[in-house]
Order: sequence, then C-alpha cells, then structure tokens
Amino acid sequence: MAEQKLIKLKINEREVQVPQGTLVIEATRRMGTEVPSFCYYPGLSLQAACRMCLVEVEKAPKLQTACTLVATEGMIVRTDTEQVRQARKYMLEFLLTNHPLDCPVCDKGGECELQDMVFRYGADSSRFVEEKIHRPEEKWSELVYYDAPRCILCFRCVRVCDEGMDVKALGVGMRGANSVIIPNRQDHLECEECGMCIDICPVGALTSGTYRYKTRPWEMAYVSTVCTHCSNGCKTTLSVRNHEILRSNNRDLSGINGDFLCVKGRFGFDFTKHVERIRQPLVRKGDRLYPVSWEEAALAAATKLKAAYDSGGKDAIGFIGSNRTSNEENYLLQKLARTTFGTNNIDHHRTADYTGLITALGERAGDSLLTMEQLYQSKAVLLVGNDPTTQNPLVGWQIRSGIRHFGTKLFVINANEIKLKRRATQFVKVAAGQEAVVLRWLAHEEGQLAPELVEQLVQLKAGLEAESDVAVVFGAEISGAAIATLVAFGSKLPGKTRYLVLGDYANSRGAADMGVLPDRLPGYAYVGSPHAHTSFEELWSCGPIPPKLGLTAPQMVEAAQAGKLKALYVMGANPLAHFGTLGLGRGKLDLLIVQEMFLTETAQMADIVFPATSAYEKDGTVTNTSGEIQMLRKGAEVMGPRSDFDLLRILSHQLEKLGLGKAFHYKNPAVVFEEIRKAVSGYNVQPAGLLTGGAEATRVEFARNGHVPYDVPVGLIRPAKDTLFTSGTLGRFCTMMESLPEAKA
Amino acid sequence: MELSPALSAKFEKLQNSYPVKRSALIPMLMYAQDEYGCVSDEMIAEIGRQLDLNNVQIEETLAYYSMLHRRPWGKHHVQICTNVACMLKGGNELLERAKRRLEIGHKETTADGVFSLEEVECIGACTGAPAMQVNYDFYENLTPLKFDRIIEELDAGKHPAPEPVISGALHERHELETPLISRRWGMKDSHKIDVYLMQGGYKALEKALKEMTPESIIEEVKKSNLRGRGGAGFPTGMKWSFVPKDTPKAKYVICNADESEPGTCKDRPLMEMDPHQLIEGMVIAGRAIGSHQGFIYIRGEYRYVLDIVDGAIAEAYERGYLGKNILGSGFDFDLLVHTGAGAYECGEESALMESLEGKRGYPRIKPPFPAVVGLYGCPTIINNVETLSAVPSIIREGGDAYASRGTPKNGGTRMLCVAGHVNRPGIYEVRLGMNMKKFIYDVAGGIPDGKKLKAVIPGGSSCPLLTADEIDIAMDYDSVAKAGSMLGSGGMVIMDEDTCMVDMARRIMHFYAHESCGWCIPCREGTTWLRKTLERFHAGMGCVEDIDMIADLAKNMLGRTFCPLGDAAAMPTISIMKKWRGEFEDHLRGRCPYKSAGALVGSR
Repeated sequence: MAEQKLIKLKINEREVQVPQGTLVIEATRRMGTEVPSFCYYPGLSLQAACRMCLVEVEKAPKLQTACTLVATEGMIVRTDTEQVRQARKYMLEFLLTNHPLDCPVCDKGGECELQDMVFRYGADSSRFVEEKIHRPEEKWSELVYYDAPRCILCFRCVRVCDEGMDVKALGVGMRGANSVIIPNRQDHLECEECGMCIDICPVGALTSGTYRYKTRPWEMAYVSTVCTHCSNGCKTTLSVRNHEILRSNNRDLSGINGDFLCVKGRFGFDFTKHVERIRQPLVRKGDRLYPVSWEEAALAAATKLKAAYDSGGKDAIGFIGSNRTSNEENYLLQKLARTTFGTNNIDHHRTADYTGLITALGERAGDSLLTMEQLYQSKAVLLVGNDPTTQNPLVGWQIRSGIRHFGTKLFVINANEIKLKRRATQFVKVAAGQEAVVLRWLAHEEGQLAPELVEQLVQLKAGLEAESDVAVVFGAEISGAAIATLVAFGSKLPGKTRYLVLGDYANSRGAADMGVLPDRLPGYAYVGSPHAHTSFEELWSCGPIPPKLGLTAPQMVEAAQAGKLKALYVMGANPLAHFGTLGLGRGKLDLLIVQEMFLTETAQMADIVFPATSAYEKDGTVTNTSGEIQMLRKGAEVMGPRSDFDLLRILSHQLEKLGLGKAFHYKNPAVVFEEIRKAVSGYNVQPAGLLTGGAEATRVEFARNGHVPYDVPVGLIRPAKDTLFTSGTLGRFCTMMESLPEAKA
Repeated sequence: MELSPALSAKFEKLQNSYPVKRSALIPMLMYAQDEYGCVSDEMIAEIGRQLDLNNVQIEETLAYYSMLHRRPWGKHHVQICTNVACMLKGGNELLERAKRRLEIGHKETTADGVFSLEEVECIGACTGAPAMQVNYDFYENLTPLKFDRIIEELDAGKHPAPEPVISGALHERHELETPLISRRWGMKDSHKIDVYLMQGGYKALEKALKEMTPESIIEEVKKSNLRGRGGAGFPTGMKWSFVPKDTPKAKYVICNADESEPGTCKDRPLMEMDPHQLIEGMVIAGRAIGSHQGFIYIRGEYRYVLDIVDGAIAEAYERGYLGKNILGSGFDFDLLVHTGAGAYECGEESALMESLEGKRGYPRIKPPFPAVVGLYGCPTIINNVETLSAVPSIIREGGDAYASRGTPKNGGTRMLCVAGHVNRPGIYEVRLGMNMKKFIYDVAGGIPDGKKLKAVIPGGSSCPLLTADEIDIAMDYDSVAKAGSMLGSGGMVIMDEDTCMVDMARRIMHFYAHESCGWCIPCREGTTWLRKTLERFHAGMGCVEDIDMIADLAKNMLGRTFCPLGDAAAMPTISIMKKWRGEFEDHLRGRCPYKSAGALVGSR
C-alpha cells in the first residue's frame, strides 16, 4: 500500500496523528476515547442517522457527527464537553421513547449496545409518558425473528445484507416513527440465512431462532475456535453453557473473517447434540453392531489390525484420514500408517488439488500462496470455476469487501452464472469442463476456441495485465496439469500473482499438508525422495519409510472390493459412500475400523466403531484452504466420544503391547504440533499468533521436495458440491439447517 | 402479468427516459396504481422484472410514499387537508362532516367501495382553503353545502368540475403588486407556447444561447441577486458557479417542484399558467452549467399540473426549444417531468435526488453538495420553480434591472401566498422588501370581521411565528431573519385573535411527525413525542411540567437532526412556546379555551 500522508489534529486537548482521510470517529477511537455510535459500523456505508457521535468542532456552528467528519490538519475536536454530554443524553432519551424496556427478558440484555450507552451516557429518569408504538413480534424464518419496537433503526442489518452479503433481503418499511425493517417476502425472509443481521443488531430487535430465550449472556462461557464446516477457516466464538453450545458468532471481530460467518458457521453446531451421535464403542457381532467397553473395543481393534498385518503384509492395510479432524490427528494417522504399518496406503477425500498447486509453484510456493487478507486487498481477482458465495462463503465475502472498499476488479471464468457475476468487471462463460482449455489459451494461446470467446479472453488478459497484483482463485475444476497451465499464465502477468485453490471441508488443506496422501509425506515431500526419507526417519526415529507410492482413497475402496486390501482404517471419513458403489458394501475387507461421530454408511458396515468428538469438542489446529493455521479450542463436551487424537493414542499403545510399532507418548495435541512445526514444511510458525486466536500463514518451502512429474487421475479430486445449507455428512445432522426452506430449494 | 397496452407503453417510455432505469420506479408505481387502484403483488413482481429490482427494493420505496398503497381505496378517494391554512378555515370541521356524511373514518373505505376518506397534509391549495382532493381533482373554498353537492354528484356517477386553476391566483392586481413572473396569469391559454411566444417567450433563451457565454449567464444571475425561492434563500448564481467546469461526468438541472411546505401554493400556478417560462429558465440554467438533461420533480398530488407541464415540454420539443441543437446553437437539452408520490421530505434537495433515483426519500450526507455530487453522483443544480421561472426575466432585461426591484442582496420580486384569516387570501407578486404589515393589511385586505391579528407564519410552517407586534418589517430574506424568522417559501398564514396557539403548535407538529422520514433519531422520535404531548396537552390533559418539556425537547432537536426537517419542526414550536406561553398555561385549567376556527363550515 502506498505511504499515507499523516495529519495532526487535537482531540480533547491531546494531539493525535492519523492518516489523511481518517474519520474523526476513528481518530478518537485510535487514541482510546470512545465516541458512541449505533449506525456507524466500520466497513459499511456511512449513515449519520443515530446522531450519537455528535462532537464539538472548533469553528463549527453546530455539533458535528464524528462518523462523517473527515479529520483535517489542525482540527480541534472535543468529545466530552457539557454540550456533547447533553446531546447524547437527549439522543438516548429520544431513542428510549419507543423502545420497550423489556431488558429483563430480552436476549440482548447484558450485551446490548443501547443498554450500555444508556448506562454510560443516559439520563437517570424518563420524561416520556405517552403511549409507545407497539407491534407484535414477527418470525421471519426459522432463524430470524424481528421485534419492531426494540428496533432503533440504525440500518446496520439492511446495510450488511445489501452491501456485505449482496443479498438485499432487508429493507425499510413505512416512515418516520413507524419505520420498520421489512423482509423480502412480505412476512418472511428468503435469503442466505447467514444471520449477519442478527449478529450486527446492536439491540434485541433481530434475534436468533436457535438462541432466543435460552439463556443470559453472563451465564455462558465463550470459546473461540474455528468453524468446522467449509475450508475457509472462519473464526467463531462458541457461547457455551454447561458444556452445551448455545450460540456461535464472532462478535469480537477477531480472526480472518472479522464478523463474517455464514449460515453454517453461525447456526450449524447442533449436530453436536444430535440423538444419533455415537456415544459408545461398537463392535460387530454377526450382522449387528453392539456397544462394548472401551477396553474391549481397543483390544479388538489392535488384535485384528495386527492379525491383518501379520497375514497380509504391509500393503494389505489402508488408512483413510479426514478432511475434518485436526492437523495433529491427521499427522498421527499418517505417522501410524507409515511407521507402525510401513505403508503409504494413506489418503483422504480430496476436494482440491493442493499438491498440484504446490508442485506447480515450485520454489515460488512460499510467497505465492494467497491468504484471506491478501485476497481482500488484491487489486484484481481472477476467479476460475467454483461458486464462492455458496461453497466458500468467506472467499465470496472477501472478494465482495475488496470490491466495495478498494475497488478490486473481479474477472470470472465460470460455466455457471454464479452470483458473483453481479460484481464482476468481466464474466466469461465457458462450457462446463472447458475451464482447462480456456486456461491453455490464456497461457499459451493454444487451442481452437470460438472467436467470441477469444475476444473475451483477450479483453480479460488485458484487464489482468493492467493490475499490479492479481489474486488467482480457482476451484476443483482445475487440477493437475491444468494448475501448471494456470500458473504459467499467472507468471506471465506483469504484477504480483498469488494463488488460492478452493477445497471443501474444514481441514482439507491440513490433511494434505500433513501428508495424508499416498504420494506425499508431510509438507508435500515426495515419498520417493531419499532426502525426505532420511529426514523423516531421523525425526521419527523409525525404520525405513516405505518408498513405494500407496493407494489413493478410491483405489483403496476398489482394492477392498476386489479383495486386494484386507483391512481399512477410517478416521472421520465416509469413503464407501464417497468412492465406492454402496451396493457392493465393504467388499472383501476382513476388517473395517471407523472413528466417527455418526453411523455413516461406512461406519454402519464397520467391524469396530469408535465414537469420536467433533472439532467443537477438542483442542488442536486446523489449516484453511489458504494455508492459514488456527487453533481449535474445546467448547462443548459430550459424554462418551473421545477425540481422534485420544483414539489414535489408545490404539498405538495397544499395538505396542502386541509388539507392533511404538506407542504415541504425546501428552496433548500441542505436543504433536511441536513435532509438526519441525516435520511439516511451512508449519514452523510463531506460536504467539496462534495462541492469541489469530491465523498464521504457512509458507511451504518446496526446495526439499525436488521436482516430480505430477498429474492427477480423473475422479481423484471430488468436490463436495456443498451448498450454503449442506456440509457433507456433517450437514445431515444439522437439524436447524435441514429445517430451512431455502435448503430444500 | 399482462399489462394494458397503454400502461405497457407508458412503462417502456419511462424506462427509456432516465439515465438510470430505477428512476422510473416511482412514476411506474403511480401510473400502475392509477390504472389498477393499488399496487398488487403481481405488479411489484412485474415492475421488479422490468427494472431488475427485487421486491424488497420496491416494497421499501413504495412504503415510504404516502400516495402509494397496496390495498385499493374507494373509487373516489376523498382527501381533506387539515393543515394550518385549511385548519384555520374549517378543515377539521370539514373532515368531521365527511366522516359523518360518508360514514367512514380516516383511511377507511365505504362498504360499496365508492368512497374512501383520508385526512391529508397540505395539498398546496392554501389560498383556496379549506380544500380537498378527490383522486387528483382539487376542490377549494369548500363549504358544507359545496362539499355535500360534490359528494352527491360523485355518488350519482357525475364528475363535478374541479377548480379550473388554483383559487387565489387570479385576482385584480393590487397597485402594490409588481407582476413579473406572474404577469401572464389569467391570459387565455397562457400555458400554450403560442401565447408565450407572443409575450416575448424564449427570447431570453435565444439571447443566452447566441449572445452569452455560460460564464456571462452565471454572472448575470449573480448580478440579479436572485436567491433561492424554495426557502433557504441561497444565492442562485453562486450555487450555479459551484458546478465544476471540467468534469467528464454528466451534469443535471433539477427543478424542485415538490412544493409541500404548509401554507405554500405558488409553484402550482407558476407551472399551470406559465410552464414555458419555467422550461425556458431550465434550458438557460442547463446552458450556464453545461448540462444537457433537466428534470422537473413535481409533487404527486399535482397530477394535472404535471400533465400541463408535460404538454408544454412536448410543444417546446416540437418548436425546437428543447432537444438537439436548440435554435441552431449546437446546444442540446432534454427535459423530463417526474412525479413524486407524497412525501414532504422530498422537497429537501438531496432527498429529492434519492427519490428521483427511485429510492426512499432519505436525505444524503453533506458535504458533498449536489453541485459536486448530486443526481446519479453527478454535478447537479437544483432550484425551486419560482427561482428558475425568474431566470428568463433576468436574462432578458439584465441582472441589474431585475435586482433593482428588490433591496440590496435581495433581488427581484417574490411570490407570496397569503392564507388563513385574511380578507383576500391569494397569491401575489411583490417587490422583495415590501413591508409585511402593509402587505397583510393593504394587499391581503386585513383580518376579517374586524378581528385582531394574533400571529403570522411568514414563509411556510417551518418558520418561527411572528406576533402582531413583530410584523412591521421589510419582507426580504435578511430583514425577516433579523426579526427572528424566515421569509422561507413565501407561504404566509395569518391567524386572528381567536386562534388557539396550542392547537397551532399541535397541528404543525402533527405535520412534521407525519412527514419525518425516520432516518435520524432526534427528528423521528422527537417529532412523534412532541406530537403526542401536544395532542394530550391541547385536549386538556397536560400538566405544568409539560410546558417546559415541550420547549426543551424542541430545543434539543434543533441543530442536531440529519436534515433541516428537524429544525423546521423545532423552530415554530420554540417560537410559539416563547411567545404564547400564557395560552399553554390557560390549557392547564381544562379544555381548550379558544375557538380555533371562526364561524365556518361545520357550524352553518
């Protein structure tokens, strides 16, 4: 960013220096003086409607709104004079005339901005004796309720829905004191149900269907963790009472997402207490699964795995990791597979080709991967494939915010008329599956394309070439060699080009980074690389790591059905549903062990099922699709399930007892992460950032990987195709989301 | 939905008329409502489809404007004005009579669907008070008998003739009048271009285009000391000079014809009797600032006026005074009339622009001012009808000649509407600076029935009121300001000794509470609170603490609201509290001790 000129002004007799163009309200906040406001909200358009931020400015005849006043050199501002105090007091008195004083039963009581302001700046009595305007409360959707009398008409909800979400589902009805917020379908809402409006409401006018009348804010504990749904890694704060999650939001505005959360992040936590949660270990006896003790299940698992290993050898066992469990758990699973069982038969359900991008970038990987913040600040975005609005909501939010705040230019290549088209500088429609062909033309001007399309691509190219930095964002449509083509094109652009590949699920990137891949060790080290072998064998103090490529997840399922795989160990995945033909069941597997939260199709066919905790019930780290590591913190607690970390530890101890491998002696996931910092390229981040709840970007160093020819077979990358209201297997157990009419549409 | 061919064509024309399609929204809703009686769900969907708007965008716009409605009114929608001028002449009694006669209340419809009734705010017929509108037709100087006859005729399926022109405009000229911009009033077909041309019309335009530069036009207007006639009195030439010269953006000229200030009804006759003068003024303004597109935003209630202006625009196009290459000068200027839909706030210039863009009429943050960032984000000048109507005279005879009619810094003549308790309510054109007392007693004929004068609203209900002792002043912007009030919009309302000032304060606040857009807290909540308190107080349920509180609340609105509407509500209230405090104290003893209206309609 260009150097900004600084100017000096005086606020309450103190001199303060701020960049030119700073609003007085921001300048006062910068120096720690509060100027109250309802309608002013950073990032949204200015209103000057609530008049709470009136301040005295020398030489101005009237009080001025600090939220619209741009600080100028030598300006003298006073925020704490008698006149200002008196104005605030009256403003609050006006505001309270039609606001019901039902604070004792209002959800917002205790965390209400109006309450706080009246406490600080208000009068101690009211002179209003007239009748208040009353209207009944309205239910706008399963998730959004509106109580008009409580509404102070700050229009934050309307703006966040329009400007922030580009949904425009809210408006203002009537006028004057009768003004109300109105939903887009007369008496109800039809929208993305993100709940931003509820969250941003300073009072209890908009309340949440899942939270209302459940508790008081001071009765809850607040745990900041990471959303467990898509791959964007939004930070969320769980409001927890008696170990039960009652609410999820990000009111502290921390993390890469600020206050943004989508419907899943905000409301998709009720799966934790779903009745179908597995709460005890299950062991198959005949054609049924029976609950057994932990000892029995653990012993059975170890014994049977040992038997499969003894009879079938190293490659008779396969491991499938998870795109939802933590980095630590995935790391341990691949370590178990590679060190204890000596196999590279380890993979996960891949939804994006992270390996492909890292490989294509080679030495540049370290500083060519785009973070969410960089996406927001990019001068231009080239979006190929995917529909961020529904599949990667934070990515969509970042792009929209960039367009609004910095005038980012958005170029879209897509087979569908995705919603972001509305905000695009240029939209190039291509036939489904032709994205790679178009990229080849862009990179090398090769291939036969329709002249109209060529014309559009020439224009697109010129547009991108004019920008000093370009964020290239792409979905699963682009994988393998096509990524190399895309990078070839990106490298030809004159400006700085950075890349972001969009995967699905909360820890897809982490699973890949951790080496839950049959061809890559942690940090994308090639399994055939002798150099990599040496360093890992040294780190893990283990015997030789198998140099042979393992089976991919689809190959494992195929091998199981063909009888070539004896045993399959699944952690937090549903491979038989994703890769198999369900009718064929588990095929000829002798042993199927599953760590899972619910009896998924795969778990139902298992011999042994371990109940696992969800991401909201454990500590650890996850890595979002842009490679930013964040900490998970345990919010809820449910009786029965153990974390996958615990389950793998238990298993390793049992196996050691039987003479197979070494037990994992990690006290907690943090100890595993210490090892990950050493083992995984790019993960040697400063812990302070993580510990404070921030995100730390990985910087993958590719040098030690060497150059390996790379492509992916068709069908290996399988995007989840989740909508705003689905979330893979997990989504099926989010009752609230299932109940939304929009989810059915 | 299937639209009638006429409406379909109208929609298409509207959409193609504006630089931005959404601007067509409010006119489309109005014309759709005219045809179907209300705006249905299907119509919203259809308009949304045509304008690429979702239904909440349409619903919220629609909900803002008081003339637009989602349920049908009766076939004859009777709208009775009870605002200050009408109230003084029996508007409330008329409303009561209507309720009894039609057996329905405010905003109700008769069972047979023939009549509906609404108490409305100032409809711009103050000099013909008490007045009402039935649909778009004006009926003025109503008496109980006249009212009954109109209702009977409507009930019988007849169409009683509405007022041909606004009452009070056509009267014998008083010797103290200086007719300049109103000089063609009363001539046969004065709204026609042939009459206008015969009277020297469009000569000023010719001069401006052929003999003057944009700079010299602005210079002439500056010299004329013409000040905004809408109310604020800002020097017009200076406003024009703020428009940036070198901008790649389009520039716009807007005529603010949203005349809604209670007591004001001068723009209505200026448009209905001399539309070409306005058109000529606008083209000259366009030339001065380098604009090629003008809009006349006419309040929705003045539909017949809009039709007259529309006809005049068509004539002007036909004769080459509008359109491409006007008078062979190479200068192009297009002009469009735009209907409002019932919102006083849209008289505020930035709210008007929002409204013209098809949105709720919320005012905008200033700065930037419209001259730099106005309509569609482009430099825009916006002037009142009377202001623009004065421009041809200024150009024709020169700024100095025009200025010489007034006083220093207050050039020219002023249209004054005088209503309420005067013998000759009417619209008069006088030199700026004429003595107010002289005007009231000589020109307007003084107070009827030999009563004493109690109070004067000098220029629309937003102005602080003056007592009988305060009116011996010159009527120019500066002198009235010195007397603690404003010349405002020129809407004078005169109150005799029997007027209850508490009731006046109540009625004024009723208006502002009704018209507050709801954007900012102090205005939205303050006007409503004051309305409720004043209603209670006037009904005899006040207590002594209320008196100070009313003044205190008004003072705390003043200067702290987003736009001047809050000030407009506060200023008259503060002045009434200060000057007639005794009348408030009198109300503490029980019901109102005054007789608000003289012996008028309801009682005879």
